[in-house]
Amino acid sequence: MTAPPQAAGTVHVVDPSPLNWLFITWNTMEEPIRIDEAGRVVYSLAESSEWLDDRTLELRLRRGVRFQDGEHFTAHNIKQNFDEMQRWAAPHPPGTWLNFPPQSTAEVVDDHVLRFHFPGPDGLAIGKFRGFHVASSAFWNGKDAPGFGYKKFGSGEGHW
Amino acid sequence: MIDEPGPWGTGPFTLVQGASSITTRNVVMSADPYRASWFIESEQRDPQVVLEANPDHWNRAARGPRIERAVFRNDVTPDEALRLVCDTEGEVDIVTEVSPADAQRVQDSAHARLVVCDANRVLVGILNRNSDAPLDDLGVRRALNMAIDRQAIIEQGLAGYASVIPALTPNWCSGFPAGAVPYELDAARAREAFSRGSWPARRPLRIATPEPFAGIAHMVAASIRSTLDLMVEVIVVPPDQAPGGARALVEKKLDLPWDVLIHAWFDLSSEAPPAAVHREFFGLDGAFRAGPPDDAFDALFDEMKVQLDGGALVAVAERIDAYVHDQALALFICAPQALYAVNEHVTFSPYKTTFELAEVTVDDRHWSVTGGGAELGARTARSQSKPGFAGAAGNAC
Repeated sequence: MTAPPQAAGTVHVVDPSPLNWLFITWNTMEEPIRIDEAGRVVYSLAESSEWLDDRTLELRLRRGVRFQDGEHFTAHNIKQNFDEMQRWAAPHPPGTWLNFPPQSTAEVVDDHVLRFHFPGPDGLAIGKFRGFHVASSAFWNGKDAPGFGYKKFGSGEGHW
Repeated sequence: MIDEPGPWGTGPFTLVQGASSITTRNVVMSADPYRASWFIESEQRDPQVVLEANPDHWNRAARGPRIERAVFRNDVTPDEALRLVCDTEGEVDIVTEVSPADAQRVQDSAHARLVVCDANRVLVGILNRNSDAPLDDLGVRRALNMAIDRQAIIEQGLAGYASVIPALTPNWCSGFPAGAVPYELDAARAREAFSRGSWPARRPLRIATPEPFAGIAHMVAASIRSTLDLMVEVIVVPPDQAPGGARALVEKKLDLPWDVLIHAWFDLSSEAPPAAVHREFFGLDGAFRAGPPDDAFDALFDEMKVQLDGGALVAVAERIDAYVHDQALALFICAPQALYAVNEHVTFSPYKTTFELAEVTVDDRHWSVTGGGAELGARTARSQSKPGFAGAAGNAC
């Protein structure tokens, strides 16, 4: 197997887009899925998904992924981020339509398998994962951890 | 969004300097059930926001990163950035959201090339169905849609950098209804439909627009004026009045001072446009719905959102796009393309919905490889009044 090429060079970007805050997030954090060049959903931190019944979505997570600080990525990270997101009434700037219902829960099956339990069928769940940024434990834990708006605004509302 | 740099993610780049954040205000559509969106009140961008390659990224072989560092410069205006990418080396390598008005300048430049992408964006006229004008009348809405020449608007207002689409779903997305065709300029049919709509005598049609789309609004107005022999006023909303106007639209409590609002919006993927686009314009929890709830639309959307089978979901998405087209729920204009100015020694492949750097490369003659590059200062500046997506509010998002 050929080693990937070494990263080389610097680019200077000017991005007047009103979504620059989101593009910085998407270039540095990842989600269970991402969107490819054509706009299609492809797996990212998840490598597959399956509806076990019409209210239970199982994600199988990618192995061998590390956060940029060296922490191993596991299902516990997904659960921690999901639980943080679910604390808020309207965490996403686009609005409440991206919410998972408040009764939704995440269950760690093992380090690489996670189940979401929803109160009803949610055909948009996979797409909503695009707004479910997964941060390291250090992002959330400790008095200086930034969280999504926690340190700066004292709230995660509207800041995911 | 991320408020401070750190090794917080697993992504192809690490945020090592600066941050790009927003301050938002909650805008409530409904208290019970709670439905809300967020209005961007301000941006906080450091003069330079620096990303460094994550050499341990799990997908490095397939995607990247291929560059060591990306510096987002927020210390130059878009106009200055365009000059720098076109006329210099080492200052600016990629400028996003190039206005169609500047496309030729990029094509003619010494150092940059124009990269064009069909993007998942729409430019529409929101129709205020709560207006005292009869915009709740299907014939009137269809008449307006048959009164404009979309291709002419694209050619003259957007230098050709857009596609005519029948409603809100471009034909490269899932959920495009087979056989759908755009409304065409048809003066005779438009006048006939309009004449049955009881439009009050001497009541002008009021078209509001943010400044960047003023030229488009005037073209739409001229076309409607000449086709329907109707008085048309264009209200260009000053930037300092735009936040209040947007909030009134999203909250839906106050009367809106316009009949048509020229508005740009975007999608998050190509999979199910009604989730992020159609719902936003017409749905019960749609930030841009200007009028009473549409029960037929909401029933279709409720049917779509519980489909766990992708094919079944797309089938309902097609019916939704066909419905909003048949009901002429908006003044459908076009899908603008995304334009980028890119240094000749940089390889950049645009995405339809986002801005990604993992696959970007530089060649051996790029300034960062041969040595050189600008000393970056700490200025801050923004300005924009040309047609383009940078002029979209970004709200409700």
